[in-house]
Amino acid sequence: MSAAASSPAETPAARQVDEYGYEPTFYHVKEGEKGPNLTIEDFSLWYGQSRALWNINLGAQKGMVTSLIGPSGCGKSTLLRSLNRMNDLVDGVKTSGQVALDGMPIFGPAVDVIALRKRMGMVFQKPNPFPMSIAENVTYPLKVDGVTDKTMLAEAVENGLKGAALWDEVKDRLKDSALGLSGGQQQRLCIARAIAGNPEVLLMDEPCSALDPIATMKIEDLIDELKGTYTILIVTHNMQQAARCSDNTAFMYLGRLIEYGETDTIFTNPKLKRTEDYVTGRFG
Amino acid sequence: MTDYAAKDVPMTAQARVKTTRNYATDLAARGEPMVFAMGGSLAIGLLMIIGILGLIAWFGFTTFWPQHIVQVTSKDGKVIAGEVFRSESFKPADAQLAAVPAESRAKIEEDLGYAERTLYRVGNYDLYGEDFQWRNEYDVAATEMPADMTFIERQEWGPFVGRITALSLNGVVTQNPTLDAVNAAVSEGQARREAILDLKTDEIGRISTEMEELRLEVKSAALDYGATDQRTLDKTAEVAEKTKALEAQFAEKTTTLQSLQAEDAKYTMTLADIGGQTKEQELSSIVRLYQPNQMSLFEKLGIYFGRWGEFIFSEPREANTEGGVWPAIVGTLAMTVLLSLLVAPFGVMTALYLREYAKQGRLVSFVRICVNNLAGVPSIVYGVFGLGFFCYVLGGTIDQLFFPEKLPSPTFGTGGVLWAALTLALLTVPVVIVATEEALASVPRSMREGSLACGASKWQTIRWIVLPRALPGIMTGLILAMARGAGEVAPLMLVGVVKLAPELPLDLSWPFIHLDRSFMHLGFHIYDVGFQSRNAEAGRPMVFVTTLLLIAIILAMNATAISVRSRLKRRFAGSQF
Repeated sequence: MSAAASSPAETPAARQVDEYGYEPTFYHVKEGEKGPNLTIEDFSLWYGQSRALWNINLGAQKGMVTSLIGPSGCGKSTLLRSLNRMNDLVDGVKTSGQVALDGMPIFGPAVDVIALRKRMGMVFQKPNPFPMSIAENVTYPLKVDGVTDKTMLAEAVENGLKGAALWDEVKDRLKDSALGLSGGQQQRLCIARAIAGNPEVLLMDEPCSALDPIATMKIEDLIDELKGTYTILIVTHNMQQAARCSDNTAFMYLGRLIEYGETDTIFTNPKLKRTEDYVTGRFG
Repeated sequence: MTDYAAKDVPMTAQARVKTTRNYATDLAARGEPMVFAMGGSLAIGLLMIIGILGLIAWFGFTTFWPQHIVQVTSKDGKVIAGEVFRSESFKPADAQLAAVPAESRAKIEEDLGYAERTLYRVGNYDLYGEDFQWRNEYDVAATEMPADMTFIERQEWGPFVGRITALSLNGVVTQNPTLDAVNAAVSEGQARREAILDLKTDEIGRISTEMEELRLEVKSAALDYGATDQRTLDKTAEVAEKTKALEAQFAEKTTTLQSLQAEDAKYTMTLADIGGQTKEQELSSIVRLYQPNQMSLFEKLGIYFGRWGEFIFSEPREANTEGGVWPAIVGTLAMTVLLSLLVAPFGVMTALYLREYAKQGRLVSFVRICVNNLAGVPSIVYGVFGLGFFCYVLGGTIDQLFFPEKLPSPTFGTGGVLWAALTLALLTVPVVIVATEEALASVPRSMREGSLACGASKWQTIRWIVLPRALPGIMTGLILAMARGAGEVAPLMLVGVVKLAPELPLDLSWPFIHLDRSFMHLGFHIYDVGFQSRNAEAGRPMVFVTTLLLIAIILAMNATAISVRSRLKRRFAGSQF
């Protein structure tokens, strides 16, 4: 992440544009005490012939919330889904560059994808609880690990649901089907499931886009509580949400990382014209 | 457009006028023009289904009802008695008409040359050589229903219609016995018959089986050690001794049997038909007798349900046209259950590989098309394949490896319930594969991703998330396969279904399920009774009853599967997305 340390003295006007008319990414990152947890280095991705990501360099700070914003189709979700290699499921995906979790590379033939995914919880756009009971949903990562000890499972259910601020609402009906919960509860259940596996990183792909404002507020409060314990990456369309809950914000546009830095700066004093146009609502 | 308009209206407005939509509703957009065709198709389909089911139900449910016995006196003085079987109009030939009295002829001419005739089931096949007789309406002088006419169902020769003139019980002869006395004597006779049957099948049958087993022991010893080996000779001596004991038992039992039969022959009754011909009938050969012309509704109901009970729970007799279909019910159920057990894992695993593991491309598409086309291959082709591959190749090999002592009589090397189920499994597997693939494809991607993101492997995801979710769809495929398999007849005729099976595929002797045995099947039974029996007219009611039963069984099996499916579906209900 040498580029991340670009000097504040550098002004946008002085920067060279590439052949497509894009300046290099502008960085003004708020560094955490523990440094970056997840580093993306010169990462590009192709769906078949079409290129979706262009040489992304980004470091998600440990224990902090990083949000990815940008107009539809700019590659935020693609980037997020590359981090736990969910894009492996899509036919014809090619990548170049590297991503490292705590210095351990995640692309390469020797990487154990399952072990990698266990270190990263993921929350999806649409709540996707499994057609099982609430308790079984939360303990699914433990079931995957082959844990059968009853007390351990019960503990995991309580911790997970408390961690996701859902315990008080469902503690009396843990055996009921998870599909009977409301949309917001289902999404918090999915967060509970993601943290029950005790991951280091939480990836959230527009976790509130299918929820009403109250449920959204609860999820945002939850993100606030979870930060510190987990490194959180959140993709969002909602700029207020990014402004409210993240420490750093990355603005992406047409597969490029345009500007990455402290959230307040991005929203109040963006360094680049493109970022300013987007956050002020001139396009997107 | 007139000139001044063209001058006054600016160009842009003119253009707008041209592109303005016509707001009037087109005729094709009014009303619902094709609804009559759609509703009509549904109505025609429903009518046909209701028609065929109604026909089957009507004939099926009325067959066992005790009919009146009508005594018909013709104008030439001939008298017959029997049940009215059916009536129809016909056109008498000119020569026939010439013989008809003038007044009847006038009536026939008034009806455009058509006359009525009625088919009577007169029974007494042993006396007449036929079961049915036609009577033209214009020939009939009188019909009446004498109260004492009796309908007697017998083990052999079909029913007897006539009167009971005498009862001879061990030499004691009663003339014109009461019906109660006859009934009492008949039930005693049935008890004797049971005893004789027990002795024949159970005890004498057991001795024969043991002797056969001993013979096979010698043969297998000869195969193992060679014919001249000391061990074989020892075995032969040992077996000879045992056989001697068994033969003594056999002789003893046979003597007992003969004395029982001689005793039984002393209990008879004398029957007389309407024309006065008499027949001596052993009481033990009577199934049931009744006098329908003087029976109350309750007595008739008793006979009706008694006949249903006999139909369902007893064995067939009289070349399958009488008696019951219990072996066919057991055979059909055993084969269908076995078929489901074979086809379910096979089809589901194939579909799992095709949908979840195989790389989707040209080859997989080709395989998929082939699988779909398999469903269109005529079922008799599967029968031929089953006979050639399963029975002769597989079964023949099994016989040579495991049952060499029984050769040349085959064990697995001929049609059997296992081969029939395998053949039908092959026939129905495309249905299961297609349905399972559809079900797997309909599992939302978000479910799989959720599971994988939790660190589950592909197999764990399939096992815990995909399969449970797809289970209702898989069940649908299985239900379709079961229904198709239970109703299939043509291939079964080649690979194990027989007209009359000596033993059931399920019984109480070890190992309880006999996969090598040939079996009876309701579908084949229908064909056999309807088209292969000596007396098609007598078999016809049984065709309807058996069809009704087959439909009821398939319905019951499907209802069970559907209720299981809906219980599974309910587990996934309530999903908001």
